[in-house]
Amino acid sequence: MVLGGIGFTTPWLLLALAALPILWLLLRAVPPAPVKRRFPGVALLLGLKDDETVSDRTPWWLLLLRMLAVAAIIIGLAGPVMNPETEQADGNGPLLFVLDGSWAGATRWPQQQEAIEAQLTRASRLGRTVGFLTLTQPEPPVFQSADAWRNRLAGIKPAPWQPSPAMLDSAREALGDAGNFDTLWFSDTLEYEGRDDLLDALQQRGSVEAYQTALNVMAIRPATYEDGAVQLRIVRATAGPERSVTIQAQGRDPAGNGRILTTANATFEEGATEGQTAIVLPSELRARITRFDIVGQRSAGASTLSDDGLRRREVALISARENREGLELLSPLHYIEQALAPTADLINGALGDVLPANPDVIVLADVATLSEAEAAPLTEWIEGGGMLVRFAGPRIAASDISRIDEDPLMPVRLRAGGRSVGGAMSWGEPKALSPFTNGSPFFGLIIPDDVTVSAQVVAQPDPTLAERVIASLSDGTPLVTRKTVGQGQIVLFHVTATAEWSTLPLSGLFVEMLERLAVSSSAASATTAALEGTTWIPRRLMDGFGTLVDAGKLAGVDGPQLVEAPTGPAVPPGLYTSGDRTLARNVLTAETELGLAEWPSDVPVRGFSVAPEQPVAGWFLSLSILLLLADVVVSLSLSGRLLSRSNTAGIAIGALLMITPPADAQTAEEEFALAATAELVLGHVITGDAEVDEIALAGLTGLSDTLFFRTSVEPSNPLSVNLETDELAFFPILYWPVTPAQPTPSSEAYAKLNTYLRSGGMILFDTRDANTASFGASSPNGRKLQELAAPLDIPALEPIPSDHVITRTFYLLQDFPGRHAGRDVWVEAADPNAKQIEGMPFRDLNDGVTPVVIGGNDWAAAWAVNSGGGPMLPVGRGYSGERQREIAYRFGINLVMHVLTGNYKSDQVHVPALLDRLGQ
Amino acid sequence: MSDPLSLRAKSEAEAVALPALLARAEQLAGAVLLGAHGRRRAGAGDDFWQYRPAQIGDSRRAIDYRRSAMGDTEFVREREWQIAQSVMLWVDQGASMRFASSEAVPQKIERARVLALAVAILLNRGGERVGLTGTELPPRAGRPQIMALAALLCRDDNADYAPPEHRAMIPHARAVFISDFMGDIDGVRTALTKAADRGVRGVLYHVLDPFEEAFPFTGRTIFESMGGTLSHETLKANDLKERYLARLAERKAELQSLCALTGWHYGLHHTDSTAQAGLLWLYTALDAKAVAA
Repeated sequence: MVLGGIGFTTPWLLLALAALPILWLLLRAVPPAPVKRRFPGVALLLGLKDDETVSDRTPWWLLLLRMLAVAAIIIGLAGPVMNPETEQADGNGPLLFVLDGSWAGATRWPQQQEAIEAQLTRASRLGRTVGFLTLTQPEPPVFQSADAWRNRLAGIKPAPWQPSPAMLDSAREALGDAGNFDTLWFSDTLEYEGRDDLLDALQQRGSVEAYQTALNVMAIRPATYEDGAVQLRIVRATAGPERSVTIQAQGRDPAGNGRILTTANATFEEGATEGQTAIVLPSELRARITRFDIVGQRSAGASTLSDDGLRRREVALISARENREGLELLSPLHYIEQALAPTADLINGALGDVLPANPDVIVLADVATLSEAEAAPLTEWIEGGGMLVRFAGPRIAASDISRIDEDPLMPVRLRAGGRSVGGAMSWGEPKALSPFTNGSPFFGLIIPDDVTVSAQVVAQPDPTLAERVIASLSDGTPLVTRKTVGQGQIVLFHVTATAEWSTLPLSGLFVEMLERLAVSSSAASATTAALEGTTWIPRRLMDGFGTLVDAGKLAGVDGPQLVEAPTGPAVPPGLYTSGDRTLARNVLTAETELGLAEWPSDVPVRGFSVAPEQPVAGWFLSLSILLLLADVVVSLSLSGRLLSRSNTAGIAIGALLMITPPADAQTAEEEFALAATAELVLGHVITGDAEVDEIALAGLTGLSDTLFFRTSVEPSNPLSVNLETDELAFFPILYWPVTPAQPTPSSEAYAKLNTYLRSGGMILFDTRDANTASFGASSPNGRKLQELAAPLDIPALEPIPSDHVITRTFYLLQDFPGRHAGRDVWVEAADPNAKQIEGMPFRDLNDGVTPVVIGGNDWAAAWAVNSGGGPMLPVGRGYSGERQREIAYRFGINLVMHVLTGNYKSDQVHVPALLDRLGQ
Repeated sequence: MSDPLSLRAKSEAEAVALPALLARAEQLAGAVLLGAHGRRRAGAGDDFWQYRPAQIGDSRRAIDYRRSAMGDTEFVREREWQIAQSVMLWVDQGASMRFASSEAVPQKIERARVLALAVAILLNRGGERVGLTGTELPPRAGRPQIMALAALLCRDDNADYAPPEHRAMIPHARAVFISDFMGDIDGVRTALTKAADRGVRGVLYHVLDPFEEAFPFTGRTIFESMGGTLSHETLKANDLKERYLARLAERKAELQSLCALTGWHYGLHHTDSTAQAGLLWLYTALDAKAVAA
């Protein structure tokens, strides 16, 4: 039932509203509860009768409040629903949601999800079971309650491909014996083969409704490099008015962070479904581009990944010094230049000049020897991923390179002199190449008949030779050998780069071999034939939204299949690598056309923009609870109990009603911080030994009291500090008694301690053993101290010199006793350059506060006071003992003064000079 | 109650309240005492007051020869007037007195005790004898009497409405009755009649809480006496107001007529007015009587 835009799931409950007037009368008849009052004048009241027998009635507005509360409950229980679906005929029986689930719907996927959810809500209201069939990933639909599907809705994602006829076939099979059902088909607006058949099959089972956006799907074709520019072509599903589209080129900046490198605008002419633009970029920048995206579209089709096709490799060509001019065809580099020029950027120059340019490949044509100054950086470059391609020639054949020991820059050892076959002075025919073996990078290349080799350098048979050969002659002698060095590799062609020793440089095979070695690369090479025999491993794959995700461990794809097969589960779009080569498989190919899905007239087509049904029962029930709460307050205040008799009731109600954030109880951490910072506070490190900790705390209490009495430093009660959890920065000084059993702090605690020390804190280490070991390793406390302090950032130490500032910050001291009167107390060593100036009583030693003071006099025990303020532990005997305790207090005062004032008292050395300057 | 320990504990608890009561009463009395110096004049007594020349009519026995021998004039030795009045106090200690309508006003009993003790202190300083009605504390002069008075005034009575104590009244003494007079009026009548019979005159001081005068109650209410022994339920408390006020006025009129009959003074005090005003009225009422006597 629908009333004023609000539908009700159980409208008959609204009949209860008719009972409200009865309730009104009932509530009026019941008097409010009496108030009890103590009143001495009651004696005068005795015997007085009420004039009327009816009590004060409940105020009308309170009655109205209660009526509203009850009405809200009734309406809430009647199940009100905003925006009820009324335009569609309510069906019954199972309902199948068919989703195209392709990349074309990814841009509008959230809207589609909302539309699906609205339909799920409706199905749930009608009690229909629901099944899902995603055409890009067909599985037999499972009919379940709509509410069960609602939770799983978020898990449905678009696939980065279109439904293929095979998928549609399996989808039809998946329907199988599902019986009759109605269908809601959420289309991605693109036409694809076999859709009509599936529609027929679905229409035989029940009615079909289609949901399709008016969005014009746009996609981008793979980028190509032509005419010195990156060519970008975009397509759209339907021809329409002129439209401009922005394309972003994303890539890595020099720091390696992904960013937008450039943008370009492409325009669809009016009535055209294709548009085009070109981007001219420096090759450095171009090589860094990883993908192109259409702005405003979020789908795999609107993104295209770039691969080696855009990445022109830089090849440095180096030959031995030429002593003949003008003989271009005889130049050792001529054929290589011809082979590489279309697809690579060539660099010429001396080896020392090109290495800083960090080329991808360096070609050494018949260069035999390299100087040490050249070889070392070259080796480094190879280990960093460079590729060195060497060609043999008369010089190599004549040199002793790699003769006895394998040269680091040669893949194999060579025999002296090489060999010549089929020449005028030799026996036999020129040799042909043997077919490439399976492990070779050249596997799959077709060898022309006319490629022959008449001379070559010959590799020494070594244990490693077999695995380094990647091409050989028909008699088995190696023609091309390769070895890997670090991340790079060295390849040796055992023939010249010219046509002198073989016809190889004259053939197309030479170019293909260079491509296979990734010396050159071009998109044009991604043909079936060129990829024959290669296996490509997926590295990063695109999902339906165009996001690149790690491919994980997927099986490799054969080269021809990668290029030819349509994208699908077998060949998902993404980046594939084979050896050093990278190939991008994009959703669209250069030929893909997009078409708009057309629906027969008997299938109603709707848009996604459906206002979702919104149950509002919860709002009504909440309103009723609020009203009832207000009623409680009002009733209490009317009967005088809210504030007069006891305030507790009022406070409790107020607390109930007030929507306040939970009282921000101070955490223990904050309390600690407050306690430590409200006043100056001394702290000691918790050792875990209860007695030591107690004495330390009592000692600091005694010291704090003494400071309070005698100086303007007025600390509040000391705190125990847990190194692991508590903040140290609040404490100017930490007293750290050392016990052999105390736990070593964690590395985080040490990090905190080091920060504390560097930022001006001081730690007073106390081994409490009277320095019996003088910091030798023989005392357990001393050993523990060494262990504790090892990770700390502590400067060089020395025993307190007699003119250290700590000896005069408040009292003049030369002894630093605690409960023991050990001699050595160590502080940061003074600057060795500090010298006593003539006439000055002290040297100007340290500029800052010593970060540590280390001693063993058990100061805390001497300072410690019990709760009554008297000394906790005895020190020495008689008067001299009390004197020792006094000196211990004075040391403590000096120490705290030193921490708080730094080298202030050191400046006293300047007093004579200042007085002198003042003329006194 | 006879257990010494509990008695002691109780006494100490009482003593805690004493100094406060005393202090307040002293303070109150001190404010009044300024300018008034008791009976500093010649009269019957033991202490020397002054020598004055003998006049005609003076008995020869009255002449102080020792003084007269110093000259030719004859002097009479006068003594200070030492006739002392006995004033008996009665403060209603009933539960009904322990009522305060709000925190801003003191309980009636508190006000009554302060007033009684303050007036006692004033009288004590004036040399009068002060005590309680009944046999517990007969009137005596002297500072210790104030302490004893304070201790006895601090006792609470659990009965809702206490009738005035009228036993052992000293003839021709003075009396001060402080109460809210909410209880049975017959007790008051008996006491006053008996007092009048013995020639005792005094003051009825009527202490009321502002709520008892205003009756600002509405709605369905159950009124209970302070002790809980009496209760009265009404459905519309505001309807009762007129009749309650009428009854209260009637009660006051009755008390006033009683006073007029017996020669007592009637005074009305509200706890929301200052204790000072109450004490002033009370003291003048007593003093006027004293002067008149």
